[in-house]
Amino acid sequence: MTTTERPIVLPGDTIPPHLIPSSTTKPLRLGPGLRHVPPSDIVPVVAGQLITNHQKNSMWVEYNNNRYLPTPGDLIIAQITRSGPDFYYCLLSPYTPHATLPHLSFESATKKTRPQLLPGSLVYARVILANKHMDPEIECVSQSTGKSDGLGELKGGMVFDVSLQFARRLLMSRSREEGKVEVLELLGEEGLAFEIAVGRNGKIWVGGEDVKVVVAVGRALRETDEAGLGVEEQRRLVRRLVKGMK
Amino acid sequence: MPREAEPSLNEKNFVLQALQDSVRLDGRELEEYRPLALTFGDQYGVADVTLGKTRVLAKASAELTVPYADRPLDGIFNIATELSPMTSPAFEVNRPTETEVLVSRLLEKTVRRSGALDTESLCLVAGQKCWSIRVDVHVLSHDGNLIDAACFAVVAALRHFRKPDTSMEGGVLTVYTPAEREPVPLSWLHSPFCVTWSFFGEEGDIALLDATWMEEQVRSGSCTISLNKHGEICQIAKLGGVPVEAVSLLQCTNIALIKAKDLSSKLDNWLAEDAKRRDKGGLLAELSAENDRVPDM
Repeated sequence: MTTTERPIVLPGDTIPPHLIPSSTTKPLRLGPGLRHVPPSDIVPVVAGQLITNHQKNSMWVEYNNNRYLPTPGDLIIAQITRSGPDFYYCLLSPYTPHATLPHLSFESATKKTRPQLLPGSLVYARVILANKHMDPEIECVSQSTGKSDGLGELKGGMVFDVSLQFARRLLMSRSREEGKVEVLELLGEEGLAFEIAVGRNGKIWVGGEDVKVVVAVGRALRETDEAGLGVEEQRRLVRRLVKGMK
Repeated sequence: MPREAEPSLNEKNFVLQALQDSVRLDGRELEEYRPLALTFGDQYGVADVTLGKTRVLAKASAELTVPYADRPLDGIFNIATELSPMTSPAFEVNRPTETEVLVSRLLEKTVRRSGALDTESLCLVAGQKCWSIRVDVHVLSHDGNLIDAACFAVVAALRHFRKPDTSMEGGVLTVYTPAEREPVPLSWLHSPFCVTWSFFGEEGDIALLDATWMEEQVRSGSCTISLNKHGEICQIAKLGGVPVEAVSLLQCTNIALIKAKDLSSKLDNWLAEDAKRRDKGGLLAELSAENDRVPDM
């Protein structure tokens, strides 16, 4: 079987054995969307595309749902709702329990020099702890190195809502080939100056000097996501938006 | 009850800053409406309106009942609004929020109190039997400007609705089923439409039409003007908010008239299209009860 076969699976389907990568040296790793039923069954629990990676000996399901479930290691954009004695309480998605962000979890922060964040401000953070029994915890500084790596408060700009799948495609390391998302590169090629922070919880922050540029970038992202545009259509969309801006 | 999701400071500041340059997030002009779409159901009296991402469904229905004791010559007409939890977890069934109460009051004043529907024509037997017309408005999706969408849906549903035909012979009232006689339209006098203006800024100097949910969260005042295409104003409601210059309010009313005419012509077109779709072969005219009776052979 070719390694590029990617069938659509539904919850409870049986996976044909020839698709499961087998390797004697590395253990098989299951990603999101698959569950191991002992002794030897692998069952998908969501509907989506089954992806297998034979080099790393892993398999997972690519799916799109509307509710973001926090997973450790994810980069997200959180909104601060209030400040407690030691933590900030933040929301990752509306109408969910609050996540906690320690006051000192910023780069080179001590009790006297920590950043004072107002309710309603946005931070780019990483999820440390997330399971279904406890409220999630996030941090704005890497535990091991003590550096923020671009995390922290997002000042100014505007945040746009997109679907979770689109955010994942943008965060892929090779978004042009794998995710088929070129919009940001195309907008940059047209000479627009802006910065981007992509949150896995379906929020994208766009910052820039010019209001029109930020609005154009936001519209490009939203329309690519909602209409499911291919690469050629993205090119046309970008050209139309830039012309409309002038 | 979970609290409503509030937009962040970044978003609020950005929207206000963009409006200073007359830039809206979706690239519209300040006085441009989002794309408006209307579909009628298979049953008479069901209207589904989408205004951008806001979606409202209105259903009109009729039943026979006893008129109110103090108005024996009038029928009964009610509008019931419901913001269902489908739109957001902040809304609960049977627990009206402030938005819901405001929408229902504005619809009452616009459609009921302006006499758009002639209630005297709903009376069948004075003091004993009358029609009770009820319009149920369900908000399926809330992305701003509920009032305009809901009013359009109510007017469309009532103009599309057909009530069963009746006849009165020597004190005996007969109500015909749709199989016996074709249902008749309601007695409709004029079509009112709501146009909602939102004001921004400390002085209320930036005004725009058809605000999205995000724009509604940052606005400092709003004014709803209800009028029909002839320029007759049913009501103007400005409930608190930032004070606005009287001259700008007059300008807003003038532009509202243009929009009302536009909405009215769109509704007429859609109703005509729907009538043509149902009237296959041109035979509907033959079914009207006002035709001459075929003479007995």
